[in-house]
Amino acid sequence: MHSFWVDLLVAIIKILVILGIALGIGAFLTWVERKVAAHIQRRPGPMVVGWHGLLQPLADGVKLLTKEDLFPRYGDKFLYHLAIILALVPATLVFSVVPFGPEFEIFGYKVKPILSDVNVGLLLVFALGSMAVYAVALAGWASNSKYPLIASMRKAGVLVSYEVVITFAVMGPIILAGTLSTYEIVEKQIEQKLWYIWLQPIAFVVYMFAALAEMGRVPFDVQEAEAELVTGFTVEYGGMKFGLFPLVEWYIEGLTLSAIAVVLFFGGWSPINIPFVGFVDPLFFLGPLSPFVWFILKTTALFLFILWLHWTLPRYRIDQITQNAWKIMLPLTLFNIVITAVLAPIVWR
Amino acid sequence: MIKKVAAKPLSWLERIFFIDFVRGLKITLKNAFRKTITTHYPYEKITPPKRFRGFFAHKVVDGTEPQPAFQEWVNRYNIQVEYGKSRCVVCLRCKRACPVPQLFEIEGKKLPNGKRVVSVFNMNMLLCTYCGFCVDACPVDCLYQTDIHETASYTRKDAILTLEILEQIGRDWQMRRENEPDRIWIDDEQRMKLWYENDVKLPKPEGV
Repeated sequence: MHSFWVDLLVAIIKILVILGIALGIGAFLTWVERKVAAHIQRRPGPMVVGWHGLLQPLADGVKLLTKEDLFPRYGDKFLYHLAIILALVPATLVFSVVPFGPEFEIFGYKVKPILSDVNVGLLLVFALGSMAVYAVALAGWASNSKYPLIASMRKAGVLVSYEVVITFAVMGPIILAGTLSTYEIVEKQIEQKLWYIWLQPIAFVVYMFAALAEMGRVPFDVQEAEAELVTGFTVEYGGMKFGLFPLVEWYIEGLTLSAIAVVLFFGGWSPINIPFVGFVDPLFFLGPLSPFVWFILKTTALFLFILWLHWTLPRYRIDQITQNAWKIMLPLTLFNIVITAVLAPIVWR
Repeated sequence: MIKKVAAKPLSWLERIFFIDFVRGLKITLKNAFRKTITTHYPYEKITPPKRFRGFFAHKVVDGTEPQPAFQEWVNRYNIQVEYGKSRCVVCLRCKRACPVPQLFEIEGKKLPNGKRVVSVFNMNMLLCTYCGFCVDACPVDCLYQTDIHETASYTRKDAILTLEILEQIGRDWQMRRENEPDRIWIDDEQRMKLWYENDVKLPKPEGV
């Protein structure tokens, strides 16, 4: 009985910490994005509110909260609000299977820094990821307006194509690790002294493309397409309701997909890897904190890379996007799976 | 000779390794670490060049009038010239030259000594296109355009330039920039600092 209460307390603390990180960092990332975008275009970006505009997310939040709450005529109020919840909840839930570091001991209790180490963790990630399509489709439908509808149809098309691709792309690392649990995949990579990117470069490239498509980032941001569709399916949303969609789509999903990519291809919390030889840790002086720092560093680097891509590339046409998904990415991943499935047992088992 | 109109199509090697992606990424990365080229507007302002077409002003009588044109026009219309007041001779040429003539409201009045002077000179800047035709038309170099470009106001009434305001802007501008040499943007040191890559060296023409 005693251990049940302790487990509950630990779970609640984990939930609070993860929610705080996810939503807090998510809001803060708007500032990061604006700064990166600005400097790529040789502007300084927000500079007025706080040091180098550091408090800009707060100011934006206050502004969004004080906006008038508009609702489109003949819209569907229930679906309209359901879409927001459907966008926010699954994206945040993905954090429950992201392992932030190795198991550690505190006050005699062993704590894994992962909310729920389920043995189908990756399946959960992509199941929740596919939920995003409902949010988008419902938002477009409930708004009773043509631009959101077009945008949501486009986004649904992109998501359906790339869900298939991303699921096949992660099969490679899964075959190599022999498990679906995110925590165990990282442990396997440390055990085998190998980041899976060295053996799965094709899978990684395809995963990045699919992740960009899922986040609705350039070059797959057809659902936004400022020049054609105003701002896509969020046209009829106002105030904080409008603010939530980009927050979820660009930042929270961006963070989770970067974190999952780090788990799958960059060995989670492990330091720099020399394939088949071992790990080199320049941050050894941090002691037990080093794995957490490594995980955060890698995720940040990947997220910054996505931002960098966003502010560099032009946009694909919708037919080119789906064509790429079905005609190039999917055959590539299938080829990758076959090669991996043939070679992996020979090397490891 | 064959004129090249487009880049060569990508080879399959370039397609596989995203060479053009990488090239683009290199450019943005290079730019991300360069110095920014903006001014922080409400806190830093760039002075426009002298020829900037901003708010209007009336030059005042201060001894720099274009002679003998000014004296001829004064005699012709029997104008009372007063030091420090507008040079306007109420000829209405600005209103005639204007594509939106109703934005001018010009009246003169007769003084007890029989001479005339401008009494009302209103310009509705909400209708103005800042084309500068009125400046070209002015025979006595009175109406002209200044470097004042922050023209926002809270009411429509504030957008109307009356004679007093025009004279005030004119005195201010004459004090600040009358004697400044006429220059174009390339000469501007501030702009040179911001856009240093525009510092092109033009070849000297031969035989000069």
